[in-house]
Amino acid sequence: MDKPKTLWKTWLRNAELNPDKEAIVHWIAGEEPIRLTFASLIETAKKFSAFIYNSGIMKDDVCAIIMRHNHFLYPLYMGISRTGALPAILAYPNPRLHPEKFRQGLEGMSQRSGLDYIFTERELEPLIRPLIEKPGSTIKSVIFPLEWDLSKPADEKTDLKIESLASEVKETDYFLVQHSSGTTGLQKPIAVTHKMMLEHAWQCVKALKITGEDKIVSWLPLYHDMGLIGAFHIPLSYGITSIHISPFEWVLAPILMLEVIDKEKATISYIPNFAYNFLSEKIPEEELEGISLESMRLLINGAEPIRHDSHEKFVNKFQKYKFNPLALTSIYGMAETTLAITYTEVGKPLTELKLDRNKLSQGIVKFADENSVVRICVSCGKLIDGCDAHIVDDNRRIMPEGFVGEIAVNSISMFDGYRNYPEKTTEVFEDGWYFTGDYGFKYDDELYVIGRKKDIIIVAGKNIYPEDIEDAINQVEGIIPGRIIAFGEDDPSLGTELVSVVAETKLENDADKNKLRMEILKAGMSIDINIHRVYLVPTKWLIKSSAGKPSRKANKERLTSGTDPHVWSR
Amino acid sequence: MITNELKNVILKQLNLDEFEMTDETVAPDVPGWDSLNHINIIVAVEEFFKVRFKSMEVLKLKNVGDLQRLVDAKLNK
Repeated sequence: MDKPKTLWKTWLRNAELNPDKEAIVHWIAGEEPIRLTFASLIETAKKFSAFIYNSGIMKDDVCAIIMRHNHFLYPLYMGISRTGALPAILAYPNPRLHPEKFRQGLEGMSQRSGLDYIFTERELEPLIRPLIEKPGSTIKSVIFPLEWDLSKPADEKTDLKIESLASEVKETDYFLVQHSSGTTGLQKPIAVTHKMMLEHAWQCVKALKITGEDKIVSWLPLYHDMGLIGAFHIPLSYGITSIHISPFEWVLAPILMLEVIDKEKATISYIPNFAYNFLSEKIPEEELEGISLESMRLLINGAEPIRHDSHEKFVNKFQKYKFNPLALTSIYGMAETTLAITYTEVGKPLTELKLDRNKLSQGIVKFADENSVVRICVSCGKLIDGCDAHIVDDNRRIMPEGFVGEIAVNSISMFDGYRNYPEKTTEVFEDGWYFTGDYGFKYDDELYVIGRKKDIIIVAGKNIYPEDIEDAINQVEGIIPGRIIAFGEDDPSLGTELVSVVAETKLENDADKNKLRMEILKAGMSIDINIHRVYLVPTKWLIKSSAGKPSRKANKERLTSGTDPHVWSR
Repeated sequence: MITNELKNVILKQLNLDEFEMTDETVAPDVPGWDSLNHINIIVAVEEFFKVRFKSMEVLKLKNVGDLQRLVDAKLNK
């Protein structure tokens, strides 16, 4: 039987083949989970699509969804897609995010993504409404889909019309806008076509040897590519069950994920590296009584650098709860290639190389000897079908094996450039290759990622641009404007990076510096960034780059390697 | 009313000298108290008061006052 060419037709086929199979299990702590079958998802998606169609929404209109963990989100997303409009899931604002910063972020995003409609909850209306009323806004309306009456089926004539529209959709048409990373206006929109998504889903299914019996459990937010593509689209396209836990509940009670694995016999999960540490260290043994992780066959590490120590901690803690160490898997990928480029081989131990750290920092891959400071590099695996990767030098020339360089990738599911952002596209996209800004090397057909060319900070799998933090803090009274840098500091015990800030100030006494630190922390809070450490330095302390701006790399090195008495930190 | 003991445990965990807290104070009001750090505060409170919270009890906490009441209940106050 031919595979359907669009997402809606794929979902329809899955509902026809397995109407009563659970498609989504929506998990809420302390309550009975809500179980949505493939048939019931389609039925509700059809009802949503009628309301969407009647709201005047057209093919290719971008419909942002800003909602909390809610079981109607899934069929709403599918209903938008059925009409030919493009869903884009965005993060629900954290209460600490300043309303104006939230609006600015949304405004910046709308200029790039061309947001046409915002589907949200009534509670956000006062925040979003002023944005729509602003002259020149691309946003046509704010819509509250949770208030729609879904008790009756859609009018038959409308339903037929929408189904006919869905049939006109071609595989090369866009169906989704996802955002690469970043906190606010710096997010880069990527439009994904039906073909990109479906081909990618089949390649991932093949690489991970997914069968109809698999169940994916996820607490990742759906605005994150690994959550949306890995834990929602791949299972929904292939016709297997995915179980979704609220990210906010999981972070407060990490045991939830393990309870779900145990109760639902889940087999696959994607989690960022910090979660291995978090799960290993933050759950007391007595809560784990009776938990079995025996069903897990793939625990896929991605979205931030993969650490040997984190895997080791996890195995040491959970082997007695029947976790199979061979379930440890890793992925390298990015929204620009829809999701994955590499996976490690299913059911085999991850390859780890013990290398000479100093040589590695000089760009040379050399195995450690008795005189070496060792760095253990964990493999991200082999290329999946339809993908390719090169290691290139600063002039984008391919380097031989044994050297570290920038990773350039190519995929059948490759984006065709950032939406309405040609200048950014030109920077990173050349002759069909995407230059990732990640540093790594290849060894024995496997890819290893060891660092970044870009200054991006990755905290618990979330990408943060230092520019966002620096802009927010630049307004704080007491620091020299423009003389501030944000950067990431590695925290091996947490298995992730934390945000640090260094600022020049004329203040000299300790009490004043403590007050300034508090203001810097609050400025970080206003953009929902937790600043872990503040360094204060005298004027003209920061090293400038050739462009005349303070250099993030040079100053980070100076701060973290030295013991300069002029540096105040807390 | 939150006790000075509880307030000091929270402030120490967040590396803060002083921050005004009432029963109604919620995590997003306090610098450093984000979702990732929340569990560290809970563990610090458990260790200081020698009590143990269940995950569902932690999930139900809405503000600092709730945390104080939970500690009091555990200590049979």
